[in-house]
Amino acid sequence: MAGRAFFVSSLVLAFLVASSYGVNFSSLKRTLLVTTSHASGRVLKAGEDQITVTWAYNTTFSQGTDSNYKTIKVKLCYAPISQVDRAWRKTQDDLQKDKTCQFKIINKAYSPSNNSFSWTIERDIPTATYFVRAYAYNSADEEVAFGQSTDEHKTANLFQIQAISGRHTSLDIAAAAFSAFSVVSLFGFFYLEKRKAKASQQK
Amino acid sequence: MEIEHISMDSNPKSFPLPVDSENKATEFRVYSISAPHMRSFQLSWISFFACFVSTFAAPPLLPIIRDNLNLTSTDIGNAGIAAVSGAVFARIAMGTACDLFGPRLASASLILLTSPAVFCTSISNSSASFLLVRFFTGFSLATFVSTQFWMSSMFSGNVVATANGIAGGWGNLGGGATQLIMPLVFSLIRDSIGVTKFTAWRISFFIPAIFQTLSAYAIFFLGQDLPDGNYKKLQKSGEKHKDNFQKVFYNAISNYRGWILALTYGYCFGVELTVDNIIAQYFFDRFNVNLHTAGTIAASFGLANVFSRPGGGILSDIMAKRFGMRGRIWTLWVVQTIGGLLCILLGRVGSLGASVAVMLVFSVFVQAACGLTFGVVPFVSRRSLGIISGMTGAGGNVGAVITQLIFFRGSRYSTETGITLMGVMIICCTLPILLIYFPQWGGMFFGPSSKGISEEDYYISEWNSTEKEKGFHQASLKFADNSRGERGKRIGSAPTPPIHHHGTPSNASV
Repeated sequence: MAGRAFFVSSLVLAFLVASSYGVNFSSLKRTLLVTTSHASGRVLKAGEDQITVTWAYNTTFSQGTDSNYKTIKVKLCYAPISQVDRAWRKTQDDLQKDKTCQFKIINKAYSPSNNSFSWTIERDIPTATYFVRAYAYNSADEEVAFGQSTDEHKTANLFQIQAISGRHTSLDIAAAAFSAFSVVSLFGFFYLEKRKAKASQQK
Repeated sequence: MEIEHISMDSNPKSFPLPVDSENKATEFRVYSISAPHMRSFQLSWISFFACFVSTFAAPPLLPIIRDNLNLTSTDIGNAGIAAVSGAVFARIAMGTACDLFGPRLASASLILLTSPAVFCTSISNSSASFLLVRFFTGFSLATFVSTQFWMSSMFSGNVVATANGIAGGWGNLGGGATQLIMPLVFSLIRDSIGVTKFTAWRISFFIPAIFQTLSAYAIFFLGQDLPDGNYKKLQKSGEKHKDNFQKVFYNAISNYRGWILALTYGYCFGVELTVDNIIAQYFFDRFNVNLHTAGTIAASFGLANVFSRPGGGILSDIMAKRFGMRGRIWTLWVVQTIGGLLCILLGRVGSLGASVAVMLVFSVFVQAACGLTFGVVPFVSRRSLGIISGMTGAGGNVGAVITQLIFFRGSRYSTETGITLMGVMIICCTLPILLIYFPQWGGMFFGPSSKGISEEDYYISEWNSTEKEKGFHQASLKFADNSRGERGKRIGSAPTPPIHHHGTPSNASV
């Protein structure tokens, strides 16, 4: 009885421990080839421009290395220059804590070749410098491999995205109008106050 | 600031609450809105709450704002410091304005002048403009001074710390409530109107801005400076004389007690402001909770204000009843020092549960110390009540600026080390309370002066002989009379004056 309870609780504990630590990035093999294409020579605009991502298995690796790949998740990731002085974008080896790749481009079932996707940059992507990375997941939804559009030091082939401002003319006008109204009503108050004081003096 | 020439034909006014000879209420009924006393209370805490909501509206939305405006950690830190540094000067200016123009006009003006900054937060598009709007919005925290001044003008010595504590505490609540309100407003706007998050946060800022503006309107139309009326009216009718700014100012800065309280307030309220700015990130980074949870923990720190600061004020009044001013000062020192010890502990505990528990107890002590401080402030000066309140309030913000600059900027100290060192600094900067001495009541270690100095002697000394000849000191005399309760239960040489419901003083002491 007690033995069974102990077994069950240690299993639960082991499961909890296992799930609280993620896979380490340094343990992943770079077996995928990822390339991106987009309008060149200028900054890409969020909500307007497109990025085409292609990914494939690198056949120079021994056959069967990709036998446990089930899904591919392609993500938009911050380049080091956009991580400076921004702890919320920090790169950590523990993938559960890693904040490098925060935006999903596409999730697809794994196939070794002929994968391509044209992504319109979403409107909530912030202004920064980026690259693209694809993770391969096994059936337990753990990362087992990756590929990225840049080199090991994340310096080559980066591209910049410019965010939408979020401002609208109507907002600008409303802000200005309300602000002016507040200040004008203040002067109105002073005038009213003076008038009241004069009136009570004449009583 | 009430100085009355006793006019021969003044009508005895009747008030819904029992009052003393200055027409200040001697009872505090928290659920009432009766004019003028309780209504002033409701107006002042609600408007102060609105200003706190506006000033700390940005932190809970920072995960979105920082991406929209491309902010770095340094930008965010600087904006946080800017938000609390603007009020340093503004609080002193507000104290002066209250002394000269009355709390009603002073606070309504400040609120209306700072609401444009909140509206314009919606159109900021860079780290520089973000810093500027947080800086100017922070000026609105000077309404704290008008709140305390107003309560000190409306409520008598036996309940003034309670009134000050509840008004201050429920206003400070805004700093915690905003951590829950703004994310809620943001999601409602984004989901119901269907705008992107970079637009939704901008629209969200209109809510605190409009709330703030409306509170200013309420103060102007429903509020009243003094139980007897408004400053301008009383000044024009000759019932109140317009005091001289230079005299009031010099009188304030030459009173050493104001400076000591400014320093110590920097290490209870200043610490509270600092924690408001850093605590969500601390829990997020050290214990890896998600942003939503970190925000909720941060909110609970500020929400403790609903009872802890008022508790400090009520405790001050209870101690004063038994032990007088000496009881108020001792309790302040003990509570604030315990707060410092808990702060040291907070930086040392390593588990999430223990951290949250210590933080909650720490919040109670630190906020109670704020309430206890403003149990002593109303008695430091009668003539310069506004500027003394302003100096103390400003000292709170200076403490926040200095603490954040030394311990929570850049990567010199880890946040937990910073918190521990902040605790040490609290204990050191609370020691000067040992030096506060009122000749008519005593201090921590000494009883009242053996020369038999009375309350009248202390408060009349703020006026020179020319002014006394003109009778400007009359209100100070009344105040001195009403403050005899600060002797505690020891038998004083004069009996406690009887309390009247009508406004006529029982004996016209000249």
